[in-house]
Amino acid sequence: MPLLELKGVTKLFGKLAALEDIDLCVQEGEVLGICGPNGSGKTTLINVISGYYRPNRGTVYLEGKKISGLRPDQVTARGIARTFQSNMCFHRATVLQSMLIGSFLQDKTNEWQAFFETKTYKERRKKIAAEVLETLKLLDLTNEANMPAAGLPHGHQRIFGMAMALMTNPNVLLLDEPTTGMNHNEAVFVVDQIKKINERGITVILIEHNMKVLLDAATRAVVLNFGTKIAEGKPREVMKNHDVIEAYLGTETV
Amino acid sequence: MKFGNYRKLLPKIVVGLLIALIFILPVFTTSLVTLSKFVQIGFWAIAAMGFMLIMRTGQISLGQATFMGLGGYTSAVFMVKFGLPFWPGFFMAGIVAGLVALAVGVVAVRAGPIAFSIITLALAEIMRIIAVSWEPVTNGSKGLVITPPTHIMLGNFEINFATSAVPNYYFIVILVAITALIFWQIDRGRLGGIFRVIAVNPTLAEHQGIPLTKFKVLAFTVAAVFTGFAGSFYAHFLGVMSPDMYGLWQSIQALMMGIVGGISSLVAGPIVGAAVLNSLSDILSRLPVYSIKPTLFGAIVLLVLLFLPKGTGLIDLWRIFWSKVYKEKPITTDNTH
Repeated sequence: MPLLELKGVTKLFGKLAALEDIDLCVQEGEVLGICGPNGSGKTTLINVISGYYRPNRGTVYLEGKKISGLRPDQVTARGIARTFQSNMCFHRATVLQSMLIGSFLQDKTNEWQAFFETKTYKERRKKIAAEVLETLKLLDLTNEANMPAAGLPHGHQRIFGMAMALMTNPNVLLLDEPTTGMNHNEAVFVVDQIKKINERGITVILIEHNMKVLLDAATRAVVLNFGTKIAEGKPREVMKNHDVIEAYLGTETV
Repeated sequence: MKFGNYRKLLPKIVVGLLIALIFILPVFTTSLVTLSKFVQIGFWAIAAMGFMLIMRTGQISLGQATFMGLGGYTSAVFMVKFGLPFWPGFFMAGIVAGLVALAVGVVAVRAGPIAFSIITLALAEIMRIIAVSWEPVTNGSKGLVITPPTHIMLGNFEINFATSAVPNYYFIVILVAITALIFWQIDRGRLGGIFRVIAVNPTLAEHQGIPLTKFKVLAFTVAAVFTGFAGSFYAHFLGVMSPDMYGLWQSIQALMMGIVGGISSLVAGPIVGAAVLNSLSDILSRLPVYSIKPTLFGAIVLLVLLFLPKGTGLIDLWRIFWSKVYKEKPITTDNTH
């Protein structure tokens, strides 16, 4: 059984179909790259999976259970985390503070325990703090821990987004263009991190414009164009696909 | 002791002395007029704290009068119609206000921040109409008279509200203190962080697994419970409860006290805001032309908002004052969190 399955997912904005009849299977442990020209529905796909949009038709299944129609927080609680195409942060909060609050799902104590700061709550917070520091170390953000997240340079903010997503303890991680606006070295660093995250058993869905990143990181690729899936397969083979080249570069008839 | 230790200690000593002064005030004066002013300030301070707690989650309630009135009516009905003593009515006031907030909140917070304001605004008006038309329970527009002597039994110890203003004064001081402590504990803990995060970036908060509706409703309900308690006591203090006591103006007053106090502060700000605006309202009432009061009141609030923008309020002036005394960079709302 695939870990994540989309069946006939359609998302309409008015009469425009941002996604049309998408069928997609994601196997456990893979890094699935999704690419396509601008406006092809890549981000909409992530928004539908993460519960931000409800599909007009079709269903999303996680481990055989329907998750489309759930709220984003419920989807996250089932183990699907995401990052955003634009930099997102909690204004005024430092990286550390953001991540402590962002690890809400790992904090199993209830509001009464939190209010009275019981022993269980304090122990839980200590554990979470240790986990946050570990994630910061993993993503090389330790020096930025006490800086306001909104003030970080762009590259660090992208990585901070990944750190936030990891704090929800996901099984599936949806990355929406993690390397936009990064220089080569930063992009290489992100690819390494994606591989490391994947080695920890987290399935990754990666939206990417940068073909080099996609070829390096993804184990399988799907190409979208105008909301439909036009190709699927090994990244290198997909790149040679006639339809894909046409979608990106246009036909020769001009 | 070095100078550096004093600079942190001195503001705290001043605040401590002020709090101590509030607790021993009846030693200096037992005048009904003076102490009534403080009871009024205490009531409004709780209402404003409630407003600010809701605002922590990024929502502006324009219907806090609902819960003042609900609290007042619940305990008045319990006492006048059922002949029960003070305490059952007092606790029921909080519970009823909380339940109404819970029921309305579940719908209202999902509708988005602007619709939330409109729904709460409408709620207050609906409650007023119910209070006017549900005559068997509320006596309609005649209102309920809570006949003195109203008294509270604490074990065998009797506090009689009719004979002196001092018990009233202490009751509200303790009620404000309890509310302040609870709100302060909420604000500094995990819940406060979640509330802020929901206000600042709901999309990210939601994708971190934080259920927005749950926490928005929680803030709304907690605020309503304490506003209900305050409303219940205030009705006993005034001895009457009528439908026109709480309307849009009262909701707006709670809002203004919170904002003028400063949006960075959940407890001290509303208390200062309530004290200052209440005193201001008193001074303006003494002016010969009555109708000019709301205009001047509004103008002064506008001036505060103009000269202290970005949610900086009176409470921040306190910090700025001390930083000026010690010639430090002033702490404003921009770098407090």
